[in-house]
Amino acid sequence: MLKTEKLVKAYGEGELRLVVLKELDIEIQDGEFVAIIGASGAGKSTLLYQLSLLDDPTSGEVYFDGIRTANLTEMEKTELRLHKLGYVFQDYALLPELNAIENVALPILMHGCSRAEAFTMATSALERIGLADRKNNLPSQLSGGQQQRVSIARAIAHHPKILFADEPTANLDSGSARVVLDAFLDLHKEGQTIVMVTHEEEYAHSAHRVISLKDGTIMSDKTQSRHSAKT
Amino acid sequence: MRVGWFLAYRQIKRSGKWTTGLIIFIMVLTFLNLVVVSGLLVGLISGSFKQFREGYSGEVIITTATGRDYIENTPALIGFLENHPWVEALSPRYGAGAQVLGTLTDLPDKDKRANRINIRAVGIDPIREEALTHFSRFIMTGENLVSGEEGGVLIGANMLRKYSSFADANIPGLDFLDDVDVGSRVRVTLTQKDGIVQKDFIIRGIVKSKVDEISTRMFMLDKELKRMLAINQEQVQEIAIKTDYAKAGALVSDIKNFMGDYEARVQTTDEAIPSFLRDIESTMNILGSALSSFALIVAAITVFIVVFINAVTKRKFIGIMKGIGISPSAVQFSYIIQAFFYGIVGSCIGLLLTFGVLRPYFDAYPINFPFSDGILVATLTGAGVRVAILLAVTLIAGYVPAKLIVRKNTLDSILGR
Repeated sequence: MLKTEKLVKAYGEGELRLVVLKELDIEIQDGEFVAIIGASGAGKSTLLYQLSLLDDPTSGEVYFDGIRTANLTEMEKTELRLHKLGYVFQDYALLPELNAIENVALPILMHGCSRAEAFTMATSALERIGLADRKNNLPSQLSGGQQQRVSIARAIAHHPKILFADEPTANLDSGSARVVLDAFLDLHKEGQTIVMVTHEEEYAHSAHRVISLKDGTIMSDKTQSRHSAKT
Repeated sequence: MRVGWFLAYRQIKRSGKWTTGLIIFIMVLTFLNLVVVSGLLVGLISGSFKQFREGYSGEVIITTATGRDYIENTPALIGFLENHPWVEALSPRYGAGAQVLGTLTDLPDKDKRANRINIRAVGIDPIREEALTHFSRFIMTGENLVSGEEGGVLIGANMLRKYSSFADANIPGLDFLDDVDVGSRVRVTLTQKDGIVQKDFIIRGIVKSKVDEISTRMFMLDKELKRMLAINQEQVQEIAIKTDYAKAGALVSDIKNFMGDYEARVQTTDEAIPSFLRDIESTMNILGSALSSFALIVAAITVFIVVFINAVTKRKFIGIMKGIGISPSAVQFSYIIQAFFYGIVGSCIGLLLTFGVLRPYFDAYPINFPFSDGILVATLTGAGVRVAILLAVTLIAGYVPAKLIVRKNTLDSILGR
């Protein structure tokens, strides 16, 4: 579904040029739960931005469902992100003026659904992650873990092909982090393709496949046998 | 657009009430500046027009044609007007140039001028005049003329040194009567083609108004002045008519049709007002608009800054919205709606204040200027134009900063780069 060929991302020029990703070749198939792990500065988030079409590579290619993304206009990429991709950001990224259900319904409204349809789908997404009873709460009225779960609901409400998560547990205590990871595992069981960036090995091992990065290079790419994440 | 409305509604609903209130307050002040500043400047002149109309001329005024001494066919004309359905009141007036001698007991010293002035004498029917202009309200001291009680006159305050606003101006050629007050005996002289006519009168009252035709003239009973005129005693020099302002033009046409070949000048009051005064009114309008434009600029800058700061502080969220697939135009549209909201609410409050409070207030308590009572000239059409201008400026002021922020690179916005 998602594929890179000799993906390079560099910043700056000449002597100041910094190559963050060094000719990466990655393939992600439907239904995989991939964790990208590495130390700070390894290029994890940079890789995620390339895979999720938020950024353009310096060289190399990214293919989504066989489509060469370099050929896409900015508008087409926005459309692709809206319809096919979902995002969970590190710091929840909920709009403070919208309550939980409104935050989840917002991208659905962009699909052209009516308000009633959007809110029905949003309620369903919140129920999937167990927060339907908090749908009328503003983000300021939710805990960190609850906000992150609302963010997950927003990302999955429109049934994306791939769900990208950038350090989803970074700002959470271990208890809340566990809850979030359990949500991801439940989604994966339902067939959701997930690509998650994390620097926590413990959480990475909850995934089906772990790609380890160091200095912009893949050090290892292991598919592990699944065990229950709910220890 | 739906998403834009969705975002804007919730952002307005859940934004800081004080901030929103302050911005709307600025919009209200801007609107009032747009309407009230030019409205008051124009009202300075319009107030004098209104006073002239209400205090002297009515909505239609008939005067002598050029080169004529009287209005031809006066009796038939008055009969026509009295039976015309649009005429609410009319006041036929005799008029003649006169001299008034204030000191009757002593001869003036050899090297001093006599206590004498030239003045326009106007003969009125007090009852008709009262119906037309509520003439009695101009009497500052003394009493009004009474039909049948001859021998008395009312004199304009600006002709008496004691009461005139110009007494200390020392303008060459501007004469006043000294030591003349209510109860004084004065001698009125009319110079006619076949000789002079003199008669002594008692000052019954002194009239004062910002309308020059009141404060600089002398009023007596029409029958008395008529008898002092040598010829054409049935023809008057002026007829003031009260009617509906909207029908004044049509009434003028009716009168002209009736008059046929008989000569007279028939005009609406607006037509009778000298063009230089109309030019002053236009100039005041331009001046008011120029001053108001500064307020418009301030309002535009305020909205720009508010939207810009709002968008800058939410740059990350704007980036995230773009990242999850919300179109940039939807985000921009939400800011435009917010700017429009400030403009429309401010304008509505401004309209209510203008037409519900300020205009009635200035109508009831006009600004006291020496030459007129300043009123607030504000029409719905004029105000509507200003609302449209304010909204257009507000929309642009909201669109530009939103566009500047929204078009920034999505990832840079998310990461705060």
